[in-house]
Amino acid sequence: MKLDPRTKLIMVFCITTLAIIYNTPGRLFLLLVGTCGMLILFHIDLKTVGGYLKPYFFLLLILFLAQCIFTPGGEVLLRVGSVNILGTRGLILGTGVVLRLLIVVAVAILLTTSNSRDFISGLVQWKVPYEIAFMVSITIRFLPIFRDEFVNVVTAVQLRGVELKQVPWAKKLDLFKRLLFPVIYGTILKAQQLSIAMEARGFRAYARRTYLRQLKLSFADYAVMLFFLTATLTLIGMQVYPLRFY
Amino acid sequence: MPRQRGFTKSGVYRQSTENINMERESAAFLELRQIGFSYPRKKSAVLNGINLNFDREGITAIIGPNGCGKTTLTKIMTGILRPTNGDVYLEGRHLQEYTLAQIGRRIGYVFQNPDQQLFCSSVQEEIGFGMACLGEDPSVIAERVDFYMDYFELSSYRKAFPLHLSYGEKQRLAIASVLAGEPDFLILDEPTVGLDSYRKKLLADYLNKVAELGRGMVMVSHDTAFVSQVAERTVVLGNGWIQQDSSSSEGDNSHET
Repeated sequence: MKLDPRTKLIMVFCITTLAIIYNTPGRLFLLLVGTCGMLILFHIDLKTVGGYLKPYFFLLLILFLAQCIFTPGGEVLLRVGSVNILGTRGLILGTGVVLRLLIVVAVAILLTTSNSRDFISGLVQWKVPYEIAFMVSITIRFLPIFRDEFVNVVTAVQLRGVELKQVPWAKKLDLFKRLLFPVIYGTILKAQQLSIAMEARGFRAYARRTYLRQLKLSFADYAVMLFFLTATLTLIGMQVYPLRFY
Repeated sequence: MPRQRGFTKSGVYRQSTENINMERESAAFLELRQIGFSYPRKKSAVLNGINLNFDREGITAIIGPNGCGKTTLTKIMTGILRPTNGDVYLEGRHLQEYTLAQIGRRIGYVFQNPDQQLFCSSVQEEIGFGMACLGEDPSVIAERVDFYMDYFELSSYRKAFPLHLSYGEKQRLAIASVLAGEPDFLILDEPTVGLDSYRKKLLADYLNKVAELGRGMVMVSHDTAFVSQVAERTVVLGNGWIQQDSSSSEGDNSHET
């Protein structure tokens, strides 16, 4: 399905909003299934989603465990001595957090199916200031770069002889903690270099920018936008004012 | 006493030297059979029917124009990329039977872009990282780190953040970090980029010394002067095929275009 980048932004916005509002694993799971179905419609291989998530698997696991352990309440499922380790509330919240992140990552892949230049020109046509539109597109561009940086570091570490799968969990935590800083800092350095390169090439040199290519919203775009906005508002309404059958 | 198969204190896997010696009986150290490779969603193949053998000793240079698949080939040789067709054998065993870490302990790989392989918070830590993870004695690590920092003239940057260094310094650090691990075989992708002539000479001298110790290497380079200074064998890649292999007299490895 060929859609305008603005339509894709609306779709991502709607699904992300629902992912934030929903707080039960059941609904979040249904939303994830729906998102995956949508990606299949766009001919995106679900293995790509897995590929994006693989480097963050460890982070997801930590988030899940932290939510499970540090959220008290509900029926106790695991107790060591007099200390409650795992309760049903923690388990529900932990599963919710992981599902929410999966949805956000999966739906964000939709944005990679359009050229970043199209996003900028689409947003500018919607009267979004050029600087802000450019920042949005750069953010989208930097997400895969950040992922690639992390994959490169993990590869480089392994090629120095470190068997990551065999490293005990405590040491693995320490190793990732140490590696995260250079990765983040390296990305910031790249962003800094990019800003210098942009200034050097005359970014914001003129007050107004013109575009050769103008995007046009088709009937399918309007239909998809209307459907997503209506469905999202309805689902939010149902979440806030649930139907009661007496 | 042979090293035991298992884990060191740092949790790093080690294979027994007995097994390594058994594997070393096979003829070629690294063997590439009918290697073909295409990147996803790209119609044309980057590499086609590449057959190459690399012995444990000797320096081989891979040369060729930009985009002819030199870096892709080195990434296949180190297991970073999996070939679309063909097989790679390391010490007689299929490369897929090894983990990246096991390959990394045998083959040291210097990436084309040093930024991709520097991940520690200081120059000193970067050079000693591999040794520390392999459970080397701290005094040995300190001694070897000092030696490599001194040789590659990085001593004044001991505490510096690696990504803050200049390109040439990062390149020297990446090479030093890999050499410090003392792998059996080295693959260097464009090792002379960013180096001045004096440092190129230092690198050539060092690589020759490493080769004299019986360790082989493959280098990808556009620097013909450097290649002629160090390489004993030259493989010319072009359009994804081997155009010329200076060591192959039969010509079975070459593909005329």
